[in-house]
Amino acid sequence: MEMIERYLQAVKFWLPKRQKNDIIAELSADIHAQVEEREAELGRKLTEAEIEAILKQRGRPIFVANRFLPQESLIGPLLFPVYRFCLKVAVLVYLIPWLWVSITILISAATFPAGQPRPQWFMTLATIAGHLWSMAFVAAGALTILFAILERVQAKSHFLDNWTPRKLPPVRNLNQIPRSGSSIELAVNLIFFAWWAVYAHSTEVFIGASVRISLNAQWLWFFWAYLLLALVNATLAAAKLMHPFWTTRHAALRLLSDAAGAGLFCWLMKANVLTAVTVAGVSPEKTATFAPAINSWTATFFPAALIVGLIIVGADIYRIVRIQSAAESLSA
Amino acid sequence: MLAVLAALRREQYGYTLRKTLSEHGLEIDEGTLYPLLRRLETQGLLASQWREEEKRKKRFYLLSSEGALVLDQLLAEWRSIDASIHQVLKEQAHGND
Repeated sequence: MEMIERYLQAVKFWLPKRQKNDIIAELSADIHAQVEEREAELGRKLTEAEIEAILKQRGRPIFVANRFLPQESLIGPLLFPVYRFCLKVAVLVYLIPWLWVSITILISAATFPAGQPRPQWFMTLATIAGHLWSMAFVAAGALTILFAILERVQAKSHFLDNWTPRKLPPVRNLNQIPRSGSSIELAVNLIFFAWWAVYAHSTEVFIGASVRISLNAQWLWFFWAYLLLALVNATLAAAKLMHPFWTTRHAALRLLSDAAGAGLFCWLMKANVLTAVTVAGVSPEKTATFAPAINSWTATFFPAALIVGLIIVGADIYRIVRIQSAAESLSA
Repeated sequence: MLAVLAALRREQYGYTLRKTLSEHGLEIDEGTLYPLLRRLETQGLLASQWREEEKRKKRFYLLSSEGALVLDQLLAEWRSIDASIHQVLKEQAHGND
């Protein structure tokens, strides 16, 4: 019978103070009644194993006690889907920059000469990657506390009951292209086209009267390619303005244009196009170091540019898949 | 809940109540029964008292007057639902013929 007392003691620990003795007395009476009935059936005292089986069948003490406690939850079923959604957004907000920083570090680290100390920017990125995790945990904790408070406020005021269907957002069409966006895209591409044609067409670039930048012949390839891309993008934006819905052809052209732009930009990072920088009033010996330093500095950004390019191309591919699956589901 | 209220028109303690329900094909474990009895008592549908029986103190429950009223209402509701379900099943059976 000692086992029954131990069981009751374990249940008692979890019970609310005011009801402890009352519940335990009733539970004790119930268990003893069951034991006595079984003993009467068998005509003998129960063995320890048989008592153990009876207690085990009743369940773990904490679960038994839990049935007598009021049902409580930190975040209830009403707010939980919203909480989960906000948590996913928060994780993405921190995870994407963390992934970008981490991949940049990984690619850059592979290009460092052995035995040389890591540059300052590399160490800064490593620190940022570490901080992003702790910030993500703090954000998740803050969200949990916020929703726990909201849960309590909702339980008292029922503020979520006050709603009207009129305030629901309009039906979304993921394939619709906002005309405002297309207009801005068209304007930006036309301005860029004009600016690029005027200021970037030469291998000799002047910044004010005192700075002269000399570029090698590869720059002209880059110049013409980007000029053509600006024209293509402006044409695509105009077409989207006329027909404001994504089609597979539109999305494929956008993919080609973005892939070409990203590829060219990555190539420029590594191309060492800068041949000389001349600054009025600065000795030629000193300015001679500028071009190699800038070329080397630009090359270190290659991994970051590559990742950004891949993300853009990935988003374009996802758009094509989305358009095609939407078309398939419509035809099905 | 309906079965518990109905069974407690006659005074019983927890263990015998559980056995009564079980004999009528309504198995209910003690982890569900005792919290339910407490809730029903808090709502004023049951009255209870501790009494000694067979050298052991036991808590006896009995349907209160308010509990009897609620039981009548619940029974009427249950019979109405039962009749509706029967009607639906009957119409479906005719439809299948």
